[in-house]
Amino acid sequence: MLEANHDHNTERQARLARVVFRNDLTPAEALEAVCDREGEVDIVTEVSPADAKRVQSSENARLVTIDANRVLVGIFNQWPERDVPLSDRRAREALSLAVDRERLCSEVMDGYATPLASLTPSWCNGCFPGAQPRGRDTERARALLADAGWPRGRSLSLAAPASLAGVARAIAEDIRGIGLDVDVIEVADEGLIAGARTLIEKKLVPPWDVLVHAWFDLSSDLPPAVVHREFFGSDGAFRAGPPIPEFDRLFRDLVSCIDSDEARRRAEEIDRWCYEEAAVLSLCAPQALYAVNRNVEFKAYRTTFELADTEVSADHWSRRGTARERAGKAVAAPAG
Amino acid sequence: MAHTSVGEVHVFDPHPLNWLFITWNTMEEPVRTDPEGFIVMALAESATWRDDRTLEVRVREGARFQDDEPCTADSIKQNFDEVQRWAVPHPPGTYLNFHPDARCDVEDERTCVFRFPEPDGLVLGKFRGFHIASPSFWHTHGFGYKRTGSGEGHW
Repeated sequence: MLEANHDHNTERQARLARVVFRNDLTPAEALEAVCDREGEVDIVTEVSPADAKRVQSSENARLVTIDANRVLVGIFNQWPERDVPLSDRRAREALSLAVDRERLCSEVMDGYATPLASLTPSWCNGCFPGAQPRGRDTERARALLADAGWPRGRSLSLAAPASLAGVARAIAEDIRGIGLDVDVIEVADEGLIAGARTLIEKKLVPPWDVLVHAWFDLSSDLPPAVVHREFFGSDGAFRAGPPIPEFDRLFRDLVSCIDSDEARRRAEEIDRWCYEEAAVLSLCAPQALYAVNRNVEFKAYRTTFELADTEVSADHWSRRGTARERAGKAVAAPAG
Repeated sequence: MAHTSVGEVHVFDPHPLNWLFITWNTMEEPVRTDPEGFIVMALAESATWRDDRTLEVRVREGARFQDDEPCTADSIKQNFDEVQRWAVPHPPGTYLNFHPDARCDVEDERTCVFRFPEPDGLVLGKFRGFHIASPSFWHTHGFGYKRTGSGEGHW
């Protein structure tokens, strides 16, 4: 349980006296409590697009959404030990042109996502001027794949954590549309740590061609510091291939710059490089979805889960009734 | 301030970074982000480059910790020095690390100066993950210091 610091001396002093994080529920139980009842769960984070309708139709909760600093992409396995030419920009661009991002956002993400051109969402600093997500172009994709020398009969292995399996299946369907067969590898939760370790340590070559991967940024100022660097940098956790000297040069130029306007221009240059090289399979920026119980005013942030601005009206369950009743409710809900 | 703190909410947050969100809702950092995600000053009143390797940070006047201890430039230095000792201070990623040879000098009660061995234009973003705790935190809990001798891995 968090309690307000009444001595905080800015306008950001907590509006709430207390916040109780509950970790004694399953996601389904939490959703049921926020939608169907009052006074048990006030805010549920990470609502899935599939559950959004339930929240919207609820009498006790409403859906709060925000374009968040989150990206969903495919990592190309560019290690030379692999038998497919994903170190060739043409092969990467072919796969990028195969994907229908609009369909992905509207059908798989139920409209709660924005197509990505590169790695920087359009609302952040550093999205390069004129950035537009690649449209689907199956003819050009087929030609590029042939030019890159994709081995005849070799199917693409597309891996994804179980939570992103629906996204992987949609992408696979798109890629099959350019004449390339796809094997979808659904990584169970118990295999995620070993898979992440392989990717990060870079001692073994990962057993997939493309990995569907979600990542986030902690601010909107300079995404390459947290996003691009992680995917391409010499010390990037998600780089799946040899170091990339051109990216490292661009990144060094960014780090060495303390002028914010010039830094923004250099961040745009990095994002443009990522687009032109089709360095990742850019997919979409998923929204953050919250279910918020009645009489609660919650302000969503693009970056993190913040509660300083959240307040409750006089009709909220915690402000009604006697102190004894309120104490009873607090005891009934164990702290997280 | 202008409002009182009233009411209670119950939160279910299954995000893998829930522990970090609780930290951000409990501790302050020199900077935070506004709702749009852009960095604004928080515990720092200002952060000004004196040259491309020297950053002056002025601590917000009257800032106090939850235990009523004043937050001063010494507090910033203490937290910097404690975390600089760790090899991997930030589980979300090494992008939040300061250069291992960076140092923090206190000039007066509200002014500290960060000196970097090379320019680091990303440092304000790193301040986002630079949690500032009360001296009593380091003397008692300190992310496990008392128990293990190090806070490493105990955010």
